[in-house]
Amino acid sequence: MGDRKVDQNGPMRVLVTGGTGLVGRAIEHVVKEEGGAREGEEWIFLSSKDANLMDMGETRAVFQKHQPTHIIHLAAMVGGLFKNMRANLDFWRNNIYINDNVLQAAHEVDAVRVVSCLSTCIFPDKTTYPIDETMIHNGPPHESNYGYAYAKRMIDVHNRAYHQKHGRCYTAVIPTNVFGPHDNFNIEDGHVLPGLIHKAYIAQKEGSPLVVWGSGTPRRQFIYSLDLARLFLWVLREYHEVDPIILSVGEEDEVSIKEAAEAVVEALGFKGQVTYDTTKSDGQFKKTASNAKLLQHHPNFTFTPFKQALKQTCDWFVANYDNARKSWGSRPPISMQSWSIAVTWCSWRSNHNSPRPFSARSQTTSPGNTSSSPWQQV
Amino acid sequence: FIGETEPMRVLVTGGSGLVGKAIEHVVKQEGGCLEGEQWTFLSSKEANLVDLQQTRAVFEKYRPTHVIHLAAKVGGLYLHMKENLHFLRDNLRINDNVLQTSHERGVTKVVSCLSSCIFPDKTTYPIDESMIHNGPPHDSNFGYSHAKRMIDIQNRGYFAQHGRRYTAVIPTNVYGPYDNFNFENGHVLSALMHKTYAAKKEGTPLQVWGSGTPRRQFIYSLDVARLFLWVLREYDEIDPIILSVGEEEELPIKDAVEMIADALDFKGQIVFDTSKSDGQMKKTASNAKLRRYLPDFTFTPLSEGIKKTCDWFVNNYDIART
Repeated sequence: MGDRKVDQNGPMRVLVTGGTGLVGRAIEHVVKEEGGAREGEEWIFLSSKDANLMDMGETRAVFQKHQPTHIIHLAAMVGGLFKNMRANLDFWRNNIYINDNVLQAAHEVDAVRVVSCLSTCIFPDKTTYPIDETMIHNGPPHESNYGYAYAKRMIDVHNRAYHQKHGRCYTAVIPTNVFGPHDNFNIEDGHVLPGLIHKAYIAQKEGSPLVVWGSGTPRRQFIYSLDLARLFLWVLREYHEVDPIILSVGEEDEVSIKEAAEAVVEALGFKGQVTYDTTKSDGQFKKTASNAKLLQHHPNFTFTPFKQALKQTCDWFVANYDNARKSWGSRPPISMQSWSIAVTWCSWRSNHNSPRPFSARSQTTSPGNTSSSPWQQV
Repeated sequence: FIGETEPMRVLVTGGSGLVGKAIEHVVKQEGGCLEGEQWTFLSSKEANLVDLQQTRAVFEKYRPTHVIHLAAKVGGLYLHMKENLHFLRDNLRINDNVLQTSHERGVTKVVSCLSSCIFPDKTTYPIDESMIHNGPPHDSNFGYSHAKRMIDIQNRGYFAQHGRRYTAVIPTNVYGPYDNFNFENGHVLSALMHKTYAAKKEGTPLQVWGSGTPRRQFIYSLDVARLFLWVLREYDEIDPIILSVGEEEELPIKDAVEMIADALDFKGQIVFDTSKSDGQMKKTASNAKLRRYLPDFTFTPLSEGIKKTCDWFVNNYDIART
């Protein structure tokens, strides 16, 4: 098993899969710049270059190499609406394998904790509101991404089974819509806020109107990636349930897409016209999630005010435009459905005919990135 | 596609189990097999389907055009309650290996086997095929249930992405010869038959676990087998189909116990141990879809099926799985 046995009383060795994505980068910032790491702890941020987690052998090898005591599991095959719709099978298979491999490898190295990442887009499509943690399996997910959704839901089933059989306390979080620096700002296929930021940026440059797809009326709860990262660390250290926990601002902080667009306009100082293209799909009207459980466990947590977080994200995007991720791979333009996928993990460019479904991302922030820290003191 | 102009080569995974043996009987003794067809009944001795390489090797050996996929890690209530993780992981692997290998080799049709125990626990009755994913399954076998439900998701995915017509059937409680008659791990009727046989031999009371009040629809393995062949040849939907007797045939475990006692001529005392779990109280399934397709199909009456199974068990005690 290697020289380094897991010492349950020793300092943590934390492995973060999907460590170079939107949430991974935020966690890295909290760990390195905000004193999130404690004395003697080791934090390792994995990317797809380090291991293909769809392969059990490679997964075991990277776990054996690092002998983690704790895992934050963010890695997944994820994509925009169009990609999901034409490849539900691949999304299901790839993510089932990744998740099964990671959880089993964690168990085999006797890791104490695994915190995986679900998403509010996996909840039942037909449901009452607000959604809470008990409702995940209460009906089929939205038809467009059932493959991804069922694979993610299975993490919760695995967690319960590892607990029942081996007493493992492996758990999961469920963020709502995450945004922040290092996101994928692809317009056609990206998530709603980064897409809007990118569009507004271009509209400003070209002196054209900002065209928002849809009516602007759907409502979302947005959570800043930095806040999510801080909460992830709290869950890793303090949350001891196997049942998952929603990480979100409160229901009262739900905003409409229109309000979000107006906040983007303000943040970028955009002075042009804003129009709404109602021929484009709105997606789900609401997916209001309850954060009552989070408030019960962690009543004093303060979320970054939305406009402030948005300003930081816009500033980062403008300063890092050349390096920012803007592509999921080539595909025809599609109507932008307002996703409530909370987190962008590592983006895998998938070709379902190749035996190795992942390749390195097309654009990443360059290693020598000298942008100033996007995370101003809050 | 292969198999459209040539006779079928059918691979039956889990071919030595309860349903596999029944299909084998129909194929070999009831003219279920058509001219030129090849039927292969696999057992776990020949290939461990949890392992992808072994799965590929056995498909390479037999080159099937069609697959009846019965193989699974499975047991009775009490085994499932202990082994949800094992059943979840192994069944996910088995099913993905079989379906993906079938797809890679251009298999025309795969008919997999679900079970009515995977349906939502909190539900209205009767259950029908559209309700599989409408809520969490019963807690006692959540690992197995989630894994089995995913076969339906995979079938839809293979159809949407690759045009494959892979489907599934959903039998209710199956019983018959070649079942697992183990007291602890077997299904309810087979375990009860074995217990009654032992109680009669030893002159002890028959101890039935649970209250005897949960209700079930029982279907004889030969009937399942005949219907499986019909599904393989004629049923074209991707959505699954329930294979069951009608709702009016549902009866409490107690009544089945009495039929078994009759069949084995057991005259001793029958005791219900209510400290043991009952499992689900009911899982009444609708066979309306089956009846739309096959209005005239005749099911073996339960008392007759029980008698035949008990006779088989007594005559084959040495080779029966106990």
